[in-house]
Amino acid sequence: MRTDYRLGIDAGGTFTDFVLADKSGQVRLYKALSTPQDPTQAIRNGLALITEDLGVPAEKIISNCDLCINGTTVGLNALIQHKGAKTGLICTAGHEDSLEIRLGHKEDGYRYDPEYPPATMLVPRYLRRGIRERVLSDGSVREALNEADVRAACEVFKAEGVETVAISFVWSVLHPDHERRAGEILREMLPDVILTLGSELYPQVREYTRTSTAVVNAYLAPIMKRYVTAVDAYFQSLGAKQPVRYYQSNGGLAIGQAMTDRSVYAINSGPASAPAAGQYVCEPFGKTDVITVDMGGTSFDITLTKGGVTNVNKNIDFLRYRIGVPMIQVETLGAGGGSIGWIDEMGLMQMGPQSAGSDPGPACYGQGGAEPTVSDANLVLGYLNPDGLVGGRLPLDAKLARAAVKTKLADPLGLSVERAAYGMFTIVNANMVNGIRRVTVERGYDPRDFVLVGAGGATAAHICALAADMGIDTIVLPKLASGLCAFGQIISDVKYNYMATAPLRLDNDAAYARIDSLFNEIEAQGIAHLKADGFARKDIDIRRSLDMRYVGQVHECTVEIGTFKVDAKSIAKIKEAFHKRHEELYTYSERHSTVEVVNIESTVYGRVDKPKRMALGKGTPVAKALKGHRDAVFSADGKRVKTPVYDGGLLGTGAKIAGPAIIEEVTTTIVIEPGWTAALDDSGSYLITRERKGG
Amino acid sequence: MAKAAKKPVKVDPITLSVVRGILETTQREMTLSLEKTARSSVFNLAHDYSTALFNAVPEMILQGQDIPIHLGSLIPAMKVVAGYFGDDIHEGDLIIHNDPAWGGSHAIDTCFYRPVFWKGKLKYWTVCKGHLTDVGGPVPAGYNPGAKEIYAECLRIPPVKVWDRGQPRKDVLNFILTNMRARRDQEGDFNALIGACQVGERALLNMLEKYGEAEVDACIATLLDMAEKQMRGLIASVPDGTYEGAAILEDAGHGFGDFEIRAKVTIKADTCHIEISSPPQIPYFINSYEGNSYSGVYLGLMMFAQLPPPYNEGLYRCVTVDMGPKGTLCNAREPAPHMNCTTTPMETLTDAVRLAFEKAVPSKVSASWGHANGLNIAGWDKRHDEEYVTMVLATIISGAGATPSQDGWHACGPECCFGALTSGDVELLEYSYPIIIHRYSLMTDSGGAGKFRGGSGTAWEVEPLNDDMTFITFGEGRRIPAVGAAGAASTMTDEKVGRLELVKGGDAKTIRENVIEVIKPGDRITNMNPGGGGYGDPMERAVEKVVWDVKNGLVSLKGAKEDYGVVITDAATLAVDMNATKALRADRRAGAN
Repeated sequence: MRTDYRLGIDAGGTFTDFVLADKSGQVRLYKALSTPQDPTQAIRNGLALITEDLGVPAEKIISNCDLCINGTTVGLNALIQHKGAKTGLICTAGHEDSLEIRLGHKEDGYRYDPEYPPATMLVPRYLRRGIRERVLSDGSVREALNEADVRAACEVFKAEGVETVAISFVWSVLHPDHERRAGEILREMLPDVILTLGSELYPQVREYTRTSTAVVNAYLAPIMKRYVTAVDAYFQSLGAKQPVRYYQSNGGLAIGQAMTDRSVYAINSGPASAPAAGQYVCEPFGKTDVITVDMGGTSFDITLTKGGVTNVNKNIDFLRYRIGVPMIQVETLGAGGGSIGWIDEMGLMQMGPQSAGSDPGPACYGQGGAEPTVSDANLVLGYLNPDGLVGGRLPLDAKLARAAVKTKLADPLGLSVERAAYGMFTIVNANMVNGIRRVTVERGYDPRDFVLVGAGGATAAHICALAADMGIDTIVLPKLASGLCAFGQIISDVKYNYMATAPLRLDNDAAYARIDSLFNEIEAQGIAHLKADGFARKDIDIRRSLDMRYVGQVHECTVEIGTFKVDAKSIAKIKEAFHKRHEELYTYSERHSTVEVVNIESTVYGRVDKPKRMALGKGTPVAKALKGHRDAVFSADGKRVKTPVYDGGLLGTGAKIAGPAIIEEVTTTIVIEPGWTAALDDSGSYLITRERKGG
Repeated sequence: MAKAAKKPVKVDPITLSVVRGILETTQREMTLSLEKTARSSVFNLAHDYSTALFNAVPEMILQGQDIPIHLGSLIPAMKVVAGYFGDDIHEGDLIIHNDPAWGGSHAIDTCFYRPVFWKGKLKYWTVCKGHLTDVGGPVPAGYNPGAKEIYAECLRIPPVKVWDRGQPRKDVLNFILTNMRARRDQEGDFNALIGACQVGERALLNMLEKYGEAEVDACIATLLDMAEKQMRGLIASVPDGTYEGAAILEDAGHGFGDFEIRAKVTIKADTCHIEISSPPQIPYFINSYEGNSYSGVYLGLMMFAQLPPPYNEGLYRCVTVDMGPKGTLCNAREPAPHMNCTTTPMETLTDAVRLAFEKAVPSKVSASWGHANGLNIAGWDKRHDEEYVTMVLATIISGAGATPSQDGWHACGPECCFGALTSGDVELLEYSYPIIIHRYSLMTDSGGAGKFRGGSGTAWEVEPLNDDMTFITFGEGRRIPAVGAAGAASTMTDEKVGRLELVKGGDAKTIRENVIEVIKPGDRITNMNPGGGGYGDPMERAVEKVVWDVKNGLVSLKGAKEDYGVVITDAATLAVDMNATKALRADRRAGAN
């Protein structure tokens, strides 16, 4: 970092977090209310907070930043609220409805529900125009592009005021010429329309996925373009030296133009920086297998990194829309501080997914909320300070919390208030653990091999319990937990995904040569793109993966491979990696069966210098940081235990605290359960560990 | 949300919630494993499989979100299989079974049963069932419209151990696989099914280790009791009495004429007795053995109960079923041929039960969904010099029935699957099989008319890529449209039903029967599936909604007028003559009364 600052801005549902790192390694966290109606307003407000705190005008900070990074929910919100642009689709005649047929499936969980509505169409049927043309499964042209059909579609779009168009033909991935030609005609007839080609955006097999991805991209592109233009202009007016970088759901940065061309990469960028942050805070402890969990007010996000590689999803339904492009795998549950406890029709206690949100909020906020929430339970259990959160700025009412737990849960279930509250704590933890199972066990990973990193304001009260439930013995909890995602953005690299498709059986030299040349081809594109972004070749890294399967299977397993030449010699290594992964996931492999490759992907990274690591230095002795005691509950019998409470702000490097204990940081409260010990590291994180019982 | 609480349960309510979550996660893990590893497109693209967990009794302790076809039949099948082996069940055993006379559904749905032992004691069964692409017999893919007996359909597999105390019985597996077409795919699917059983086993053992046997046992017993209580509560809310429903099963080419299937539902306090009557079994592949018929009855019940997951056997404790005498269409006995039974007659049986419940509780009803009429295809794949055979699930995607609150989903059926299937990506299908899919689309005017419209059916048009292709049609719903609810009825019915359009050697014809034919490159078939039934009087459908459907090509100008009484005077602007519309709608209502 050659300049004074680096700034990360992460827009969340309630707050927009600002993380400002300076040359010395100090990191400051600011929070401004999000302003979904005018997202740039929150940025102005946040910069005002920073100016107020540091006494330095915004222009001075921004012009002294080496990078300004923005994680935005603009695309996400447009998709959630169906407020994207008016979109048209050009597709192969006969296949206009794949978008609406959605593979003929109704989502699980609603099988007999008579009121679960179909997904809202981003492009209504009359704007999905079929074109006569056809490429076959071997890439040959069966029917040439009918240009008159394309022109007729353009006329319809013109008359209807369509702003953005996706073009996606069957098998265009093997023969993109028809899409390209249709695009030329469109540009000529509708020069102002934003264009998305399926074969460029997502060059992989699966027509429905490609078409849907292209449509989501087209639908969001004009919205993203307007936003990026406004933000870029604002930062330029403040004297920014570099273009603003935007955070993508693939866990990397991009410049504004890429966000317009590839808007679909913007949709879940919020939690996508968690893995980078998790890895970063674990580095001082030499740990590379990391699960990062982020519990906020309404949701709980889980991400996983193994050996420095983060799990990525492709071809998933996101908000009911099929998205092909790689997104950091984020498992999101309705479990947060505001999650409501209730009793279902069977008489079982449930937690969430409904949330009291921030209005009225948990009962203990005293804003009229009457439903018992996780925060209320944590207050009853003695975990949270009744004097209030965020350094007393948000006072809590323990009486209201107790009353809500008692009337809604404890009395109906015949339990004491403490037992009911501990039950709420246990069930919400169990929900989160089942979510963690989905990213670990279901994907063939043993959670016990991982370190658990806590992010988000509400996680720290639950982190020991979660770790214990998963059999995890090591936790890393940064003091900065509540702004960890924004921090993750400022230590991330620029990242673009390049893909190709080549369904090839791995039993001949020609196939190996083809795979090798495809890798080289797409990587050349990626390198050119990054060079244009200002990266030197030495700062560009490449990672490769192959989607493979046994011949006859239809779903692939993604396997990371090195950047070696793919040939008859190295292929054994590749196949072996696949067999192993298949075993991990599904308990067996078929070493005698032929393996085939379907999709090819290279991720190109433009390496960004990292800010200097924080050095905490000495603090007061632990005994001096003791603020007092609270009677807290750590067991299902509801028994209260006198528990010391520490002021985390006073602790320094090397401080060691054994549970049961509570450590209060300004933006989070850490509960150290009995049996666990927290040690504060110079890097600003608590390393929380326990002796594993019975080996 | 939170309703008034019931009295407290005996087990720790917290552990109970946790155990329930683990059971659901376990079943999900099995399902995912199966889907990702399977060879058969019927599994991995179409989700035509089910996974379930049983206790040692064996009672079903959890069934997933999978397909209703398998909803009921796993329960009797598991009991038959466990009963057959009695004490001869050991750690490391694995049992295969497909036969309907031994409690199965149809023989192409092959099932693996894995006993799960804990400290030397049988605790659970993990069970996976899936539709293979072939199961031997004279006709590829198992559906033989010419079969007069079950022996002319398939390889019958009664309960057989394929693993004995951890040792795979290679000879037995080889014997079974030798009898099947496209062996590589069948073998891969066996591995996938077995792998999924083991995935389930792994998770259940973890649960026992963590929470202890006694605690888990108590929780599972309580979950079964709670489900029972829930269904009893629902049934108790229905006025006591006897309600009857009847549905017509059309003659799909057997020549015996149309049949009627009747259901009599008797509600007494919190119990429900369902009595089925159906005609004598016939020498045609639409007979349903008892296990399969349970699925049809339970689906009709669930269309009324509308319960969210999880599901377990406790739900059915207050429900008794009499399938009628042995030797009837819905309670078949050997040697009745049966392969088509999971759709035909199951969907008609389901309709009869749901119509009885519609009489009992008119407010809790969904219109019938389109029935399945689909295609199996087979031939030689010259690209790889190997045989191919499969059911094409994309050919049975019909429209869903409308409900009292909304239009039916498009392309979501058939009724027997209730949205659980997926049809598979067009490119993946063309990659896996030597075919060209020219069209996969919704169909104008196919959704049943109603205040809420039935969902649109689909058309699937295919041509063989480079060699002869055999196709076999199955199912029905090609003459009688999906039954509407609450007075819904369509005027234009031809567009609402399924049919197959064949263009062969330049000649076109429409097929409404179950046939086996061979076509060549250049020939084409288009299989069309029915739309769902509508809900309520179509003359009450908002005019704007009809116009919007016309704009989107889901309803034609003619359909708007005939089915909905909406007179559109300008095809370009879709302007409506409101006076003429009012008059026509009044006329129609008067005519209907």
